[in-house]
Amino acid sequence: MAPVIRTEGLTKVYGEDRGIIDLSLECGKGEIFGFLGPNGSGKTTTIRTLLDLLHPSSGRAEIFGLDSRSQSRAIRARVGNLPGGFAYEKHLTGRELIQLFARLRGISDLGRAEELAQRFDVGLDQPLKQLSRGNVQKIALIQALFHSPELLILDEPTSGLDPLMQAEFIRLLEEERGRGVTVFLSSHDLDEVERICDRVAIIRSARLVAIEDVHDMHRRAMRHFVVRFDRPVELEPFAALPGVQQLELVDGRLTFSVSGTADAAVKLLAGYTLTDIEITHPSLEELFMTYYGGDHE
Amino acid sequence: MSSGAPVSPPGSARSLYAIVRHLLRLQRWAPLTWGLSLGLSCALVAAIWPSISDSISQAIASYPDAIKEAFSIEQLSSADQYLDVEMLSLIVPLALAFFAIRSVARPLVGAEENSYLDALLSVPLDRRVLAAGAMISTAILLAVILAIIWLMTWAAGLAVGAGIGLEEWTLGVVNVWPIAFAFGGFALLLCGMLHSLAAVTGVASGTLIAMYLIDLLGKLSPDVEPLRVISAYRYYGSAVQDGFDLSHALGLTAAGVLLAVAGAVLFNRRDIR
Repeated sequence: MAPVIRTEGLTKVYGEDRGIIDLSLECGKGEIFGFLGPNGSGKTTTIRTLLDLLHPSSGRAEIFGLDSRSQSRAIRARVGNLPGGFAYEKHLTGRELIQLFARLRGISDLGRAEELAQRFDVGLDQPLKQLSRGNVQKIALIQALFHSPELLILDEPTSGLDPLMQAEFIRLLEEERGRGVTVFLSSHDLDEVERICDRVAIIRSARLVAIEDVHDMHRRAMRHFVVRFDRPVELEPFAALPGVQQLELVDGRLTFSVSGTADAAVKLLAGYTLTDIEITHPSLEELFMTYYGGDHE
Repeated sequence: MSSGAPVSPPGSARSLYAIVRHLLRLQRWAPLTWGLSLGLSCALVAAIWPSISDSISQAIASYPDAIKEAFSIEQLSSADQYLDVEMLSLIVPLALAFFAIRSVARPLVGAEENSYLDALLSVPLDRRVLAAGAMISTAILLAVILAIIWLMTWAAGLAVGAGIGLEEWTLGVVNVWPIAFAFGGFALLLCGMLHSLAAVTGVASGTLIAMYLIDLLGKLSPDVEPLRVISAYRYYGSAVQDGFDLSHALGLTAAGVLLAVAGAVLFNRRDIR
């Protein structure tokens, strides 16, 4: 099946900004694809180039097999976009904004917008200037979703939403995925990406570092062990564990990390009497740091 | 198919209609603020004409010829001529050209600066249609503002018996529209090249004032006179005193359209920052 989004050597350089350099990726139908990187790494530039707000310096992008430059209108008819830091004329009400966008999309039925407003618990009849940041973000989500697009492009979608609404948003995305909608989600919130995405592209200093399956990343990633024993132990057996790092024994408390499978560590520990043990999965942030190596340039 | 989104975007005419309607709504108070303020000024000038008409004619007779020519005050024997000198020679065209510059630039570079275009251009809207919408809504608003100015002044003239010539005053007011529209087109051209509302407003307004000064100095100095051809004010002239020059009005309108078309093409090709 043809990918919904495909970029080939997509590059956008402007001014002193690096933008995005040589980005090649594919995003399949029904996939929730995370686009992860710190602020300024090129996430928003990529999205704005996909939507033809920025024109590529070189390379190309296709959405639904259509060229992002020459067939942008046809693409945008099938896409719902939530821009990062959404803003529009502040004295318009949410309803007026949705009505405008509906007219420009050739849609007369606003039933889904009403439904989404109810679901997100936001009124549509107040001017945007009177709404809190979270409620403006809900209106922004509604304008991205109300026309039931085939592809959702979301830049920092949960920004400003409270935890309850974030959970509701994630449920909604899962429903959308169930309907075959593709989601391209840009975020620097690692936890958000971890909870929602199937695959994640990691971007650093305008360049793609890796594209990983989120579950594979976890499987291959470090496990952190914190162990207490009923008697003093030697470090040597633990130092010999394959892939061990950050090994430390302080006041009878042994801490270490192992990458990949934890099998060898668990078998070794089985030979001791433990008074306490804690094994933690890495957060995506820690995974992220392995790609960034602490360099947030 | 999982979605209800129409695969084909709406036609350009429907999009244009929606954008013009939206932009007119955003500026719904402009006819009142601009029309009322300029209309009141003109009405005041019309209202005082009967009380000063005798003395001002004598005063004008003593002015040097060059000054009279420069400010188009060959004679001041009627209220419409007085209105022309006081309001239509400088204040009204300058103010409405400035209005046109802002009215065109705000939904384009102004919206760009505020990141509004990231949302608006997420829908299947052609940027050229947005630019055309900005020009059309500005053209409509200019006409409405001028109609308010015309009406308020005419009513004031009737009330005090100023004896404003209907045809002269009407043509004088109509004559403002093409020059203001042309500067709207110039603003759109700048929107195709610049990314800042302040920059577009500054360059367009500076050009507006420079053109007025070139035309004024050209009337006073034979050395500067040849430069008047580049000034829009030369083609604006004085419809009240010299008659309405249709070719000049059409020329200014055509210039506005051409500048706007070039601006729309450039706006479509450039990045939205």
